[in-house]
Amino acid sequence: MTTSAMTDKLDSTETFGQPAFDRLLEKRIDPTWLTAKRKQAWEVFQSIDWPNPRDENWMRSELRGLRLSKFAPNIDESVEIPEGTPVRLLEGVDVSASLRSVNGVVVSESLDEGLAGQGVVVGSLSRCARDHSALVERYLHSLICPKSDRFAALQAAMWSDGYFVYVPRNVRVEKPIHLHAAMGDGQVDLSHTLIVLESGAEATVLFESSSPDVTSKGLHCGGVELIQHGNSHLRYVNLQDWGKGCWHFAHQRASVGRDSQLQWTVAAMGAKFAQVDQRVELIEPGARSQVNGVMFTQDRQHLVYNTLQHHKAPHCTSDFLYKSVLQDRSRTVWRGMIKVSEGAQKTDGYQRNDNLMLSDAARADSIPGLEINADDVRCTHGSTSGRVDEELIFYAQSRGFTRSEAIRMIVTGFFQQIFDRITIQTVREALGAAIARQVRQYE
Amino acid sequence: MKEPTTMPPFHYVCPRDQIRPNEPQTFEIDDRFVVLVEIDQVVHCIEDMCTHDGGTLGDGQLDGACLVCPRHGAKFDVRTGKAVCMPATEDTPSHTVKIDAGKIYVALNN
Repeated sequence: MTTSAMTDKLDSTETFGQPAFDRLLEKRIDPTWLTAKRKQAWEVFQSIDWPNPRDENWMRSELRGLRLSKFAPNIDESVEIPEGTPVRLLEGVDVSASLRSVNGVVVSESLDEGLAGQGVVVGSLSRCARDHSALVERYLHSLICPKSDRFAALQAAMWSDGYFVYVPRNVRVEKPIHLHAAMGDGQVDLSHTLIVLESGAEATVLFESSSPDVTSKGLHCGGVELIQHGNSHLRYVNLQDWGKGCWHFAHQRASVGRDSQLQWTVAAMGAKFAQVDQRVELIEPGARSQVNGVMFTQDRQHLVYNTLQHHKAPHCTSDFLYKSVLQDRSRTVWRGMIKVSEGAQKTDGYQRNDNLMLSDAARADSIPGLEINADDVRCTHGSTSGRVDEELIFYAQSRGFTRSEAIRMIVTGFFQQIFDRITIQTVREALGAAIARQVRQYE
Repeated sequence: MKEPTTMPPFHYVCPRDQIRPNEPQTFEIDDRFVVLVEIDQVVHCIEDMCTHDGGTLGDGQLDGACLVCPRHGAKFDVRTGKAVCMPATEDTPSHTVKIDAGKIYVALNN
């Protein structure tokens, strides 16, 4: 099959064509600036090709099975709430605000009255684009360029709804904010997350996505923008637990200002295929970011993460740690880059990717990289990949554990380094439970 | 106790006369991609995946009974899936082909 034949199948205009876009504009009640932005993104979508399989970011991705014609954007916003979509991060958590979306459209919103009085905004992105127009206009798609690739352009043009969190200057949101995206079997989620922390603000945001059933199908094409001004502190947790029949495409960006701190925890468990482009930009001196990633795959799951930690200013620190456990014939690709701009002296950048294979047929591609244009920096990176040590299993079995218990214990220990870095206890417990559920019964 | 092993089901792929000698063709079966090749009047089927870098083999050229990966030159024997040339060191899965009434059926192994 030639490349053109592959993209012919992908490039369906039946459901994501001009008529669908025109109907979307007709149905929506958007401010004029937003309609103009959508039109610009749509022009980009129409003018560029789908990602080239020879492109470095896409050459380890398998898009041939994606048929866009099987999916349709949720234009009418008629939402049937799917039953049984699990919510894992809420257990034992007292939240200050919560948003829930179904198929990319927010269906419920709540916010502590005291916080609302302090100017905190947590709500549907569509609604906030009207009610807080100037704010949303300033920040929406300020980090994600629709020209990044055709998925980004599609999402920028046709995003259905999403989550807007705004914390004003010097306001500290003590309790976590919970966001939950549910997607029904065979449905589409084109949502967008926009979080803005003004100077001195602090917040914890727990985001999770799930499907009604482990085998559920669907298409998620989303965007995440985290914007932090000086001296702000954001803890952002993202648990991706889509059904194993879902396609998951996401552009995730963060911009961290002077003396600000970002702790970003990613847990990728679900989706049949995922392609995530994650970038953190440290734009002013003293900015610090820590990204903790957990991937646990099984069957024929294929997860691709392209990460970039971009030091644009001096005296910044970035620390990326990704750990993957792979079962069956699953595959992960992690391609990490530390980029240091000219003049970003005294940079301290670290990246590491560890992979633990639980089967002979699993495959992990780990490609760390450095691009340094300053001469007084410390940048280190590393990667390890290997099987479970049989001696460890033998030792555990000699102490009375079964082989299955031994493997579960070793997997938990493998992830412990990440758990130790997560400061929120309930998140640690939820991730631990999610991981324990994934471990197969081994003979 | 181990469950009894069951034979994977056969999937209809295409009419027999669609596969021509020494011309690899790619098909999608049950969310997986495979390459069908006719060598010496026998149709063979292997996974459309180079075990070196996980890329596709379908655009590759035939060298005797071997399919050559178009990116780095690894070779796989289409009759067995065996990797016969570096940089691939692991075999790619080989699938069972059945021809019945002029139609090709494939059962996906492992």
